Amino acid sequence: MWGWRSGRTIVVGAAVAALALFCIVPLAYLIVVWVIAPAGQASAYGALLLDSRQRGLLLNTALLGVGTAIMSTLVGVPMGVALARMALPFKAGLRILLAAPALLPSYIVGLAWLYLGDASWMDSLPAAVIVLTVVLYPISMLMTEAAVRGVEPRLEEAASLTAAPGRVLWRITLPLALPSILAAALVIFVLAVSDFGVPALLRVRVFTTEIFTAFAALYDSARATALAMPLLLLTLCIAFVSVRLTGHGLVVTWRGLVGGELQTFDRWRPAFAGVAVALVLSTLALPVFVLAREARHVNSWTNVMTGSGEAIRSSLMLASGGATVVCALALGLGYARAKATRAGGVAADVLFVVLFAVPATIVGVALIGLWNRAGVAGAIYATSGMFLLVYLAKLMPLAATALAASLRSVPASHEEAAAVSGAGWVRTMTRIVLPQVRLGLLAVWIIVFTLAFGELGASVLVSPPGESTLPIRIYTLIANAPPSQVAALALLQVAVIFGPLAIGGFALTMRRRS
Amino acid sequence: MTALVLRLRSVTKTYGARTAVDRLSLDVAARESIAVVGPSGCGKTTLLRLIAGLERPDSGEVWLEARQVEGNGRHRVPTYERRIGFVFQDLALWPHLTVRDNLAFVVASATTEKRERAARIDEALKICRIDPHLAKRHPYELSGGEQQRVALARALVGSPRILLLDEPFASLDSELRATLREEFASLQRQLGLTTIYVTHDLADANALASRTVVMRDGRIETIRSS
Repeated sequence: MWGWRSGRTIVVGAAVAALALFCIVPLAYLIVVWVIAPAGQASAYGALLLDSRQRGLLLNTALLGVGTAIMSTLVGVPMGVALARMALPFKAGLRILLAAPALLPSYIVGLAWLYLGDASWMDSLPAAVIVLTVVLYPISMLMTEAAVRGVEPRLEEAASLTAAPGRVLWRITLPLALPSILAAALVIFVLAVSDFGVPALLRVRVFTTEIFTAFAALYDSARATALAMPLLLLTLCIAFVSVRLTGHGLVVTWRGLVGGELQTFDRWRPAFAGVAVALVLSTLALPVFVLAREARHVNSWTNVMTGSGEAIRSSLMLASGGATVVCALALGLGYARAKATRAGGVAADVLFVVLFAVPATIVGVALIGLWNRAGVAGAIYATSGMFLLVYLAKLMPLAATALAASLRSVPASHEEAAAVSGAGWVRTMTRIVLPQVRLGLLAVWIIVFTLAFGELGASVLVSPPGESTLPIRIYTLIANAPPSQVAALALLQVAVIFGPLAIGGFALTMRRRS
Repeated sequence: MTALVLRLRSVTKTYGARTAVDRLSLDVAARESIAVVGPSGCGKTTLLRLIAGLERPDSGEVWLEARQVEGNGRHRVPTYERRIGFVFQDLALWPHLTVRDNLAFVVASATTEKRERAARIDEALKICRIDPHLAKRHPYELSGGEQQRVALARALVGSPRILLLDEPFASLDSELRATLREEFASLQRQLGLTTIYVTHDLADANALASRTVVMRDGRIETIRSS
């Protein structure tokens, strides 16, 4: 029951309040500051948005986003169709390996790219597109797979009675999956234009790097805010359109990834199996190999670990603590989303995706603007608590979306049966609902931990003096330390990211076997 | 002697430990109408899917006219080269295409001549009694009976050598079901179709079939002439 003193009201209310405080208020603050700027400053804003330097930034940002979206779609869609409709060997493991690059921080792949060779074009806009494609194509692949699995196989079988597989794919499968394919392209566009690490590393001037320079190098918060506005509006609009396109197909639970193979596309299976292996080798094995090759020149691993030990410990503590707090609050939000009416659910999905799409550098600028003041806020601002605020602002909406999908898979009748048996809401949740979604919860915790552990764009802005995380340490060492040392730390980061993933994959495999 | 359109020779299909079709043999002559009846899970639908090439038999042979399309566990002739019409239980009308485009998709595979394609579509709409103004609509804008007619028109427009129907009237109310059954029986006589009709309704079987095949546990139990 939703009474004032019921456990459900308290938990959901606290989660909604946290969403408002940590995600919505900082952005609202940024927008209000921009809107009510003094007249002189406002005209400076106008000039800032219109001068040729800004137009160049806009062009670079657009090219980075469009290029990455197109490339990722070209790679991701065929693989998504293959995963949905072909009986590929070791498919479950192959899917995890193909999706794994999405969990690598983009700057880690960027570093590996730079160590790959020293041709002049390797730090250019096209290079940034390639690196971001490596990291983002899994989004297109997974969303396409989910969409194609949502297509009733009978429709393709009916077409296969009269048409060759290519025509079935082109006229039936892809048009039916098109909304999700477009939505994935838009999400990738947003994430590409929001990325800070890769453009910063490959020296490509885009809005995110310019915001960072304005804030961290020039100490010009007004300029940073003005630069943030076009990017913020662009990402919010595109995220809104993309979630409207996908509707309820936004997140697919593991239960939705079973079966659906069609004999129609069987003849392509060997070719796609080959492409999948080539992709795993080039997007996952190659970056790790390149980092390992560079790291073998390290004189002393002990020195590397000692020099960065504090950053490593701090990162692990912050990411695991952050993931736990984020998941706890997101559980309340996900529950509210799962129980919402259809219209309310769509509104919640739009809100969550739009909030997740906000570029990290803008989150950083907004958090500094809001918390850098005297009093309690200032006391928090001076501590590593700012990193937790970054994780909450960036990752709570994502976790809520994923957990809502898990919670929706539990039939409402299970809760109702517990309620008529006399169990309160808290007991129903802990004894009936959560045990059924524990694997989903574990998966979300791992994803949040991984993303928090690799977070750079906002952390590098809000980092208090004397506090550092592993990504910040790597980013600052790039210019000041031998490549072997940087590569060694990057390799360590990869190991920490894939460790929990391997444990999660193992747990999942054991569960499926049982 | 009437030519055979379909020959099945000791066809077997298993799914894991379950045998869906077990060493089944059957001959179907041109213009013959066969009803396949039996309890749920006896292999009726699998039989149709094996004939259409949507499933591969583990062993046995499938012949369409004089051509072996399956044999020795190998997939000999792809589905789209078999010229088979199929009305699925859930109809499987393509929701993103209009009624006309649903039919055009099939005809485009058979002929490249635009005028001939249009003529064949119009003819199929006419014989299935589909109001021409419905042709521009999408399947979800049609009633259940109209969707049923469109599914039949789509199966016929490619001039199939054999028409397979998998309980196409199962989801309809009894009145509409009787109407469509009569219409289909008349169409069958008029066009001289060779059909295999899966049903669990004996009234359907009696009204539509010249022979009724009773299946149980993947095998043919009896064959009755109507």
